[in-house]
Amino acid sequence: MGHGIFVAPTRKPLVTGSKSYHDITEDICSPAEKAPSVAWVIGMLVSLGLVAFGGACLLITIWVGIGSWNLNRTIGWGWDITNFVWWIGIGHAGTLISAILLLFRQKWRTGVNRAAEAMTIFAVICAALFPGIHMGRIWLAFFIFPYPNTRGPLWVNFNSPLLWDVFAISTYFTVSLLFWYTGLVPDFATLRDRAKGMRKRIYSFLSFGWTGSAKHWQRHEYLSLVLAGLATPLVLSVHTIVSFDFATSVIPGWHTTIFPPYFVAGAIFSGFAMVQTLMIVSRKVMNLQDYITITHIEAMNKIILLTGTIVGCAYLTELFIAWYSGYIYEQFAFMNRAMGPYWWSYFGMMLCNVITPQLFWIKKIRRSIFWTFFLSIVVNIGMWFERFVIIATTLARDYLPSSWSYYWPSIIEIGVYLFTFGLFFTLYLIFSRVAPVVAIAEVKHILKYNGDQYLAKNREDYEAKTGVKVVLDEDKVTDDPNYEVDDQIDANDLDENN
Amino acid sequence: MNQFTFTGKQKTFTFSLMFVGLLTALICLFMKGDGLRFWSNFLHNTVFFVGISFISLFILCAKSLAYSGWQTVFKRVWEAMSLFMPIGVIFLLIITLGIKMGWHDLYHWADADSVAHDKLLQAKSPFLNFTNYFLFTLIVGGYWIFTMYAYRRLSLREDNNAGLYSFNKIKALAGVFLFAGGYLACIMIWLWVMSIDAHWYSTMFAWYSAASWLVSTIAFTVLMMIYLQGKGYFPKFTDEHMHDLGKYLFGFSIFWTYLWFSQFMLIWYANIGEETTYFKLRIDEYPVLFYGNLVINFLLPFFVLMRNSTKRKHGTMIFVAIFVFFGHWMDYFQMIKPGVVETEHHLAHAAHDDHGSDTKHLDDAHKDEHKKEDAHKDDHAGDGHDDTHGDGHGDAHEESLRWGFGMPGYIEFGMFAGFLGLFLFVFFTGLGRASLTPENDIYLDESYHHHA
Amino acid sequence: MKGKHKDILFGLYNDETELLDAVHTAHEDGLEIMDVYTPFPVHGLDEAMGLSESRLHIAGFVYGMLGIMTAFGFMTWVFTRDWPIIFGGKPYWSVPAFIPISFELTVLFSAVGMVVTFYVICGLGPGVKNPILHDRITDDKFCVAFETDGLAKDKIDGYRSFFSKTGASEVFEKNI
Repeated sequence: MGHGIFVAPTRKPLVTGSKSYHDITEDICSPAEKAPSVAWVIGMLVSLGLVAFGGACLLITIWVGIGSWNLNRTIGWGWDITNFVWWIGIGHAGTLISAILLLFRQKWRTGVNRAAEAMTIFAVICAALFPGIHMGRIWLAFFIFPYPNTRGPLWVNFNSPLLWDVFAISTYFTVSLLFWYTGLVPDFATLRDRAKGMRKRIYSFLSFGWTGSAKHWQRHEYLSLVLAGLATPLVLSVHTIVSFDFATSVIPGWHTTIFPPYFVAGAIFSGFAMVQTLMIVSRKVMNLQDYITITHIEAMNKIILLTGTIVGCAYLTELFIAWYSGYIYEQFAFMNRAMGPYWWSYFGMMLCNVITPQLFWIKKIRRSIFWTFFLSIVVNIGMWFERFVIIATTLARDYLPSSWSYYWPSIIEIGVYLFTFGLFFTLYLIFSRVAPVVAIAEVKHILKYNGDQYLAKNREDYEAKTGVKVVLDEDKVTDDPNYEVDDQIDANDLDENN
Repeated sequence: MNQFTFTGKQKTFTFSLMFVGLLTALICLFMKGDGLRFWSNFLHNTVFFVGISFISLFILCAKSLAYSGWQTVFKRVWEAMSLFMPIGVIFLLIITLGIKMGWHDLYHWADADSVAHDKLLQAKSPFLNFTNYFLFTLIVGGYWIFTMYAYRRLSLREDNNAGLYSFNKIKALAGVFLFAGGYLACIMIWLWVMSIDAHWYSTMFAWYSAASWLVSTIAFTVLMMIYLQGKGYFPKFTDEHMHDLGKYLFGFSIFWTYLWFSQFMLIWYANIGEETTYFKLRIDEYPVLFYGNLVINFLLPFFVLMRNSTKRKHGTMIFVAIFVFFGHWMDYFQMIKPGVVETEHHLAHAAHDDHGSDTKHLDDAHKDEHKKEDAHKDDHAGDGHDDTHGDGHGDAHEESLRWGFGMPGYIEFGMFAGFLGLFLFVFFTGLGRASLTPENDIYLDESYHHHA
Repeated sequence: MKGKHKDILFGLYNDETELLDAVHTAHEDGLEIMDVYTPFPVHGLDEAMGLSESRLHIAGFVYGMLGIMTAFGFMTWVFTRDWPIIFGGKPYWSVPAFIPISFELTVLFSAVGMVVTFYVICGLGPGVKNPILHDRITDDKFCVAFETDGLAKDKIDGYRSFFSKTGASEVFEKNI
């Protein structure tokens, strides 16, 4: 480092605005040090409003029981499990960004990993709520843990995928929390050393006495790497086990072997969409455009495109093999999805998950803030539909036509879903006030390789040496709606039409 | 040494391997007269090596889209590995021709008589038929070959033209290939491999077999890099690069195991007859293949490559790569052979029903008569796989001892050697045709200074 | 930190390149560095300081093995000895069904164990108050510190001339 950098001239900067180390500290710490902005206060009030309304619905659910929902004997899983799977899916991007992208050395992850990990933790909390209240008597929730008891002792059924879920999700939550917090400790120390009075004492406590000693950094890096190695199979296992909840059964439409990788791809897909939604707002409100650049957004859009395509491949595989199996019940299950009473959710799923994300092949859309924001919400709606299709649509047409049914949520169920939104955004807003939303130390670490002033120098050297002109589209310009992509030879051109 | 020379010694070696392959193939065909064994070996090796060339191209395309730079120093090796594709596709077309000409009975669905008596095969016949097999192999194979040559041309063009022309064009090519090539690979795997067990189906299958290709490709790359370095080529390929290849070998082995476990566990857990036949057959009659698969392809790479230091030791890497490469060859062996034997039982059974007639392709009149005769057997044949090989049960337990089907014998190893020789020949020839270092690749500097 | 106070002499550098050069110089001059403090992990610093490689992963492996044995052993005991249950016509000891939980507990034990080990061996934790040499160390300054407790003046002057030689922007004395 410092003795010349070896970075391809086509690499786009991940930190713009010729930042120094001190600028990075200032820029990222300042949102946590200033009085909250109006936007933040409004956001908080809306979130708390949702928590209040949804909280009432939650209390009714617990007080009255799940009779307050519209589930029936045929459709025993409805919005609750749909929302559970949806939230768990959203909770996948954080650990994926931190772990898998760390192992694959994708440096753009440093801009978004901290917020995405926080999102993971909050999403898992929201997800865990649903199986909890679905049990009906939440005060007996401890029954799901294997503990010596006076019933024999009668153990939990370790052979049940629902119990695997208990282990998977609690492990995932614990490991994500440790990973996230361990990464936060040095950044809390930065805040501590800038703070005064009461805030200093709080951050002193939170930063665990971090000094920045070389040996500590060495172990810290090592720990992060090993945790990333562990978290990679873990993140795959969590949604895999969620998919086992369905796929180990013999229900046509649920029992199919592609479920594990397909659920994981879908989880990453929706997780990244939620990261986009949050980051596009956060970067604007907190003035972090130099750290979460269009390059970051474009990279995430590519992952959305990739995972959306994988999910599409899985949908088509399922559909094809259902026909190919020659198994009439399997064939019926898929006919029912597309043409049954819930046809609209199937087409919503196909439209939002498979078709619209293909717009990201077009570079202009991939680099547009507006389109990214819009499509990220579309993807999240689509992924909700996917879970609804799998769960409610399949159950609605079971073995006996006499018990076929239709299901529509009650206001209480909708309220509980809104509660999780309120909870999620409340936690995120608190997080954005007390902790650095971008990982300070990690951004400093990549500055000399990915800062725009260093890369510009690097590019000039290359151009002087080879006589090749390298044109990069400037991130700042694309924020301007009137910006036109010029049709010079373009180093970032993936769009085959050009 | 920036230019690989395909020495006479290496040529002799690859030709001797090819000779061994040809010899064993001829022994199998003419001295033993075992056409099924020859053709199943032919299919097995062709699919295995076509897969390696496909995955090499796939990795190159994925790397270009992901802005990955570290592999640049040895990317010509992957290019050379992808060059086998045309030969592989021609071989597959020969197999296709074999279906038409009745040279072999690899595919149950290709037997008109069986289809006439089997409701499931009838239901699948819009997909499982000669025309589809032929057209998909021709068109998809053709598209893969087109992409492979287009990639190669662009990559070589760059050597003489500094600039970003190739860089940009390759990305466009790669984008389409990852999407279309990937989707179509699923269909090809269903046709080439999954349809051997014509009654069985699994949505995971294409992913699973592609993962097997992926690990074999990495293992082969490791072996070639160590060999070529030993000859003094690729001086800038360091332990750092080897470390990353080691991580790939480790990671993708675990990924393969993940897919294996998911497919197996779901079928085992739900216990639906139509699906369990596949694993029941393999556990009961081919236990060595079944369990050996896991030991070689999971336990071995997992425990050996877990430590970082072993990924940098060439001796260990050679050991693991050879085992894993062979292990995935065996994985394809166990995907293909038991199904072929089942088809053989089915056909033998059908012939037996046919009152001793050994004609497999009946004329229409005969077929109609046969249909009436066996009308009562239709539901029997339709409702399950297990019942249909009734007569085959007697010798079922000896399958694992049957050379060439339960276990690879000298003919299998011989033909494998032949294919390996051919693959190496194409590989070395391709490697010699271009500079080993893509001098103008934009990522070359990054690749030289790579730190794992 | 350890109850006993000690005198420290430390210099701040503005850039990690200067820091690395300084550490190399100190090594050549035979000066014994107490510690180096940086705002982010600097590549090459471990080698320059001669730090031995971390063995955290070995601890992680041991914890992981403990986890898998706990999970697998416990489930085996429950379903073959304590309270056997038949499900789906499978044997009591149905290994494939034990794998998901065994995997999860392996990861859990390994991750929690390693994180706890990390904080314990680094002496970090909630409420720990380590002396902070300078507020900018967690911002943009790179610090090399020498222990000067009870050292002769000429030795301390040697350290000072080292700092001026290697281009430290500021030099401080502190009792911690």
